[in-house]
Amino acid sequence: MLTRIAGGEIVDPVNGRVGKGDLWIEDETIVAAPSGRQPDVTLDAAGCIVMAGAIDIHSHIGGGNVNTARLLLPEQHKAHAPRPAGTPLSNVGWTTFDTGRLYAQMGFTTVVEPAMSPGAALHTHLELADIPIIDKATLAILGNDDFLLSMVRDKASPVMIEDYVAWTVASSRALGVKVINAGAAAAFKDNVRSFSFDDVVPFYGTSSRSIVKTLQAAVGALGIPHPLHVHCNNLGIPGAPDTAAETMAAAEGLPLHLAHLQFYGYGAEGKRGFSSEAARLAALVNSTPEITIDVGQVMFGQTVTISSDVLRQFSARGTANPRKSVIYDGDADGGGIVPHNYRDDYYGSLQWAIGLELFLLIEDPWRVFFTTDHPNGAPFTTYPEIFELLMSREARAKAMEGLSKRALGLSTLPDLTREYTFEEIAIMTRAAPAKLLGLKDRGHLGAGALADVAVYRKGNDIAQMFRSAALVLKNGELVVEDGIAKNYRWGKTLRLKPTPDKAMVKRLEAYHQERYGLSLNWFDFPDSAIPREQPFGEVSCNA
Amino acid sequence: MTVAWIGDRGVPLADAAKHAAELLVTSLCPVLSLDTDVHGTRAAIALARRVGAAYDQLDGEAVARETAQYTDKGGMFIAPGEVRRRADVVVIAGELPAVHYDLIAELANTAPDLDGGTGKRQFFLIGTDTPAPGNVKAMRLSCDGGVEATLAALRARLAGRKTAREVTHFNGFAKALAEARFPVFTFCGQSLGLLGLEMVQGLISDINRKQRASALHLAASDNGWGSTQASAWTSGFPLRTGLARGYAEFDPWRFDVARMIADGEADLHLMVACDAAQVPALKGLSLIALAKTDKPVAGAVVTIAIGEPGVDHDAVVYSSRVGTLAAIEAKAPSELPSAAAVLRQITEHLPHEEALPC
Repeated sequence: MLTRIAGGEIVDPVNGRVGKGDLWIEDETIVAAPSGRQPDVTLDAAGCIVMAGAIDIHSHIGGGNVNTARLLLPEQHKAHAPRPAGTPLSNVGWTTFDTGRLYAQMGFTTVVEPAMSPGAALHTHLELADIPIIDKATLAILGNDDFLLSMVRDKASPVMIEDYVAWTVASSRALGVKVINAGAAAAFKDNVRSFSFDDVVPFYGTSSRSIVKTLQAAVGALGIPHPLHVHCNNLGIPGAPDTAAETMAAAEGLPLHLAHLQFYGYGAEGKRGFSSEAARLAALVNSTPEITIDVGQVMFGQTVTISSDVLRQFSARGTANPRKSVIYDGDADGGGIVPHNYRDDYYGSLQWAIGLELFLLIEDPWRVFFTTDHPNGAPFTTYPEIFELLMSREARAKAMEGLSKRALGLSTLPDLTREYTFEEIAIMTRAAPAKLLGLKDRGHLGAGALADVAVYRKGNDIAQMFRSAALVLKNGELVVEDGIAKNYRWGKTLRLKPTPDKAMVKRLEAYHQERYGLSLNWFDFPDSAIPREQPFGEVSCNA
Repeated sequence: MTVAWIGDRGVPLADAAKHAAELLVTSLCPVLSLDTDVHGTRAAIALARRVGAAYDQLDGEAVARETAQYTDKGGMFIAPGEVRRRADVVVIAGELPAVHYDLIAELANTAPDLDGGTGKRQFFLIGTDTPAPGNVKAMRLSCDGGVEATLAALRARLAGRKTAREVTHFNGFAKALAEARFPVFTFCGQSLGLLGLEMVQGLISDINRKQRASALHLAASDNGWGSTQASAWTSGFPLRTGLARGYAEFDPWRFDVARMIADGEADLHLMVACDAAQVPALKGLSLIALAKTDKPVAGAVVTIAIGEPGVDHDAVVYSSRVGTLAAIEAKAPSELPSAAAVLRQITEHLPHEEALPC
């Protein structure tokens, strides 16, 4: 079927196409304007911005910890408002179904769950498979697992470690590798209560730094397109900018992605010992080209923090609001679920400001990524408001009126005048994520790209524009019209498929039998366990 | 082989599914009781949404208590693999279902290897009458008042307070805890009430002020906990959720299906059970029975034979042994349809075409 999206303002920085024109789609693919052919369908995009479908690189949308949060907080669902009535399950809360619908309605077509425990991969993939419309992907967590830590301690060869990482990525159907507070979850099991970059994990004698460096090297050697995705030590602690800076310096010229940097932007200045060091971190990012970061913007209101950083979450139990939490010592990382209500008091105001400072002070939109670390900083449904804050200094000034003046006085935000352009938004939320994840078929509108397209009706209300896309096409199918999802197709989960080394598989089988009394089969699953015709889409590793 | 009946009359499966759909459409208050795998649960919730039914675990009191531990309080939990590798003290807090005895025996026959070098594992058993699972050698901790009173007395004594009742072997227990690197308490909603579950977590929270400790959840029903997981991601809520108003509402009292039946609120009961013997005979209530059976279930308006997950067909189930969902292969594959397949077939006969969430 030939489709023409007619008369829109096309914003496609990858192909240098910015301006009014038509976009042509044949079946699932964007094509050059065909000569002498009439479209089967014409979609009017006059007065609209036309971009590639947006890609979210870090959003906790499914898996054991997310589901535990649902169990812990049946009252949490209201945080995901507003939900248009009259759609299937429209009033159901925080479901897989709603996740796909709400993302699609904002023009997002690919979302990455960044924290999958490899041992519970099946659970994660079952949830992802029940998210309609969009494509998904997930990152496998390593760095607190006994097998890896033992290899690092025993100075295993880099090839052996690469074999293990390859097996983990392949068996868990992941798109990349994440390390979360490397070594800390293992140390916490030995009753360690704080853990920094050069601290050593008891029993293994290996530091957080060496774990990160080991995994960074393995990811690079295997040709995994996405750089190692690092959740640094000391999240949320005043003084954490030092840890973030140490971690950035440890990249040593090789790609490294630091997650939700906002949570590491807290200095210890001022009466309350809590200040902004966003400007320092932004300067470091600006001067370290191998580093990419996502922000983890905080927005005000009730949410729940979900993290496999079990040590950090244990420390945060006392701040739980409402007063209940779950701490889980898993086979490797585990997790912690701690509900939190971000208030517009001194601390909340500063957290909100630090995220925006990072967005506005990091100069290269190819290296700063748009996230709230959903739901840790805020539910993803707050994205439209954040787009408005980035694109309008007037909106920021208005938002700051009701916030703590003392907090804002310790931030550079009131002085920042930058406003993101549509082109920068397209880079940050489309082109750059596709490049970072190795998804060559999306993130742009050039001929041959997957026809994932978001069309927004221009207006003065920027948040409304991004909240309700005028049209969204996924794989060339019209899935959203006038902000309402119409077509609940099933997307795929994107994965890498490195070939596991047979000797490593044999070794892992013996390890699991000896240490856990279980066959390796318990930690793997056939694709047929996922109830979709084609649950997975394969992404190539770099040569 | 006949696999479907309307009353006592054998019929094609399609006819039984169509009749079941007709009954569901005309029902004012349909309820679903489940004892099935993850995909059976997903299909049941999709059906419940279409007909506005409430759904619950079959014989679901213990699962509801375990759920309430999460919805009301939270807590600290641990994976079974970590227990095997780290726990140097295992405290069995109340009776466990027999299905978990193998794991306890396995823990007794192995030694922790990540415990810092002691290589030993001690067992304690709470409650005067609590049977020792897997014949494990355990020191018994008990006092008058049962398991929950013992837990309360232990917590008070460990906090340095006096108690009116003496707990047997308390000093040995206190010494073991003081020396332990990672004590673990097992718990199950089958033998512990809400206060008991909360008391276990209180003890663990106290210990974690200075040391490490956690709780191992050994589910009252692995199917029940798997359904709880599937329900949480599908509807946003645990079991005991109702969809009669067109949206999901979680209320563990209102949507307690056994209560709804006993109080005469429900007028149609769809039951999914592994074994027909689980199906209770109830008068005055229309019953659609999906169960592994070779004959119609007594009193059922519609009976459809289904396979047992992991026996007749491959399945995804919750496994307390691994602490997460697992794919299991059929041990004796048969032609009996899965609960998910039958429920989807019934759903296809319902009016209104609409995208299904599962």
